[in-house]
Amino acid sequence: MKRFALALMCLPGLAFAEGLTIEEPMVPLAPPGVMAHAAFMQITNTGDSPRQLVGVSSPDYAMAHIHQTSEQNGIATMSGVDLIEIAPGQTVAFAHGGLHIMLMHPKAALAEGDTVNLSLLFANGAVEPVTAKVMRQHRHGS
Amino acid sequence: MIKHLMTALFLLAAPASAQVQGVELDEPVALPAFTYSNDLGESFTDQDLTGAWTIIMFGFLSCPDVCPFTLGNLEAAISETGMRVRPDNVPKVVFISVDPDRDAETVSDYAKFFHPEFKSFTGTRDQIDAMVEATDSFYRLMPPDSTGYYEVQHSSAVSVIAPDGTLRAKLQPPFDPGLTAEFLARLQISYRRELSQ
Repeated sequence: MKRFALALMCLPGLAFAEGLTIEEPMVPLAPPGVMAHAAFMQITNTGDSPRQLVGVSSPDYAMAHIHQTSEQNGIATMSGVDLIEIAPGQTVAFAHGGLHIMLMHPKAALAEGDTVNLSLLFANGAVEPVTAKVMRQHRHGS
Repeated sequence: MIKHLMTALFLLAAPASAQVQGVELDEPVALPAFTYSNDLGESFTDQDLTGAWTIIMFGFLSCPDVCPFTLGNLEAAISETGMRVRPDNVPKVVFISVDPDRDAETVSDYAKFFHPEFKSFTGTRDQIDAMVEATDSFYRLMPPDSTGYYEVQHSSAVSVIAPDGTLRAKLQPPFDPGLTAEFLARLQISYRRELSQ
C-alpha cells in the first residue's frame, strides 16, 4: 500500500489533495514576447462534498484569472469566471475553446519543459498547488 | 465509366466533409488597397496577394487560447495542403494584429513561431478596419479594466484569397488540418476550372 502511494506520488503531473485530482496540467509554449499565456488541466472532485473553485494565483506571473472562451456567431469572446462549482465525482476540463487559466505578464521567459507554479483557491479556504508543464502543443485535433 | 467512378469517389469523400471547415463564397469579393508593416520593417500590401494563395487571419497577441490554437492548426493544415497541391499553390499565411497599440513592437515574432514562413503584421486603425470590413470579419476592443487591461473580441474564421487578389472563401473552426487541406485543394480546383472557362 505504501509502495502504491509512493508510485502515485511519482506520477508526473498528477496531484492529490483533499479529494481533488488534477490531471494533465500544461501551459502551451507561447511565441516570444507574448504577455498572455493559458494553462489547461482537468480537475476532478474525488471527495464527498461539492467544491467551489474561486480563483487562481501564480508566483510566476503578475496576474492569473479563470477565463471562459465562448464563441457566438463566429465571434470569439473571453470573460472572467468568479466561481466554478465542482460536484462530487465531477470533472471540470480547462481546455481549448472553453475554460482556461489566463496568465498575464510572465516574470521570466519560458521554454519548453519549464514548469509553471499555480495555486487553485477554493471557497473553503483550501489551496491546491499545481505544477504545470510548458509544452509545445497547440493542436487539439477537434 | 470515369464519370461513374468520380461520382463514387465523391460519395465516399462526402461523409468526411460533413464537418464544415470552410465556406466558398458564391461570388469572389474584390479587396481594397492596404499596407501593413511590422517591427522588422517588412511590409504586406494588396500587391502581395497577386500570384499566390493567401490566408489572412485577424487576431491579437494577448490572445491566450483562440489565436494560438488557430495558427497551430493552420500550420498543420498547410503541411497537409503541401501534400495535395503544387508547391507554388501552398497558401501563404498572414496574421494581422488588430491591437497595434500593444503589439506593434513585437508583432513579427508571433506568426513565425508557428511556422517559419508565416508572417505577422499590424497597421493603422483605418487600414485594419478596411480589410476587416472587406473580408466580412469583426473585432472589437473591449473597455479597459481598472489596470488598463482590455480584452479583444474577434472573428474566429480566417479568409482565403486567390492569386487574382479576390476573397474566395472563409475557413472556420475547428480547423481540422486534414479536412481544411482537403477544402483548400478543392477550392483551388474550382478556381482553376473557372479560369479555364
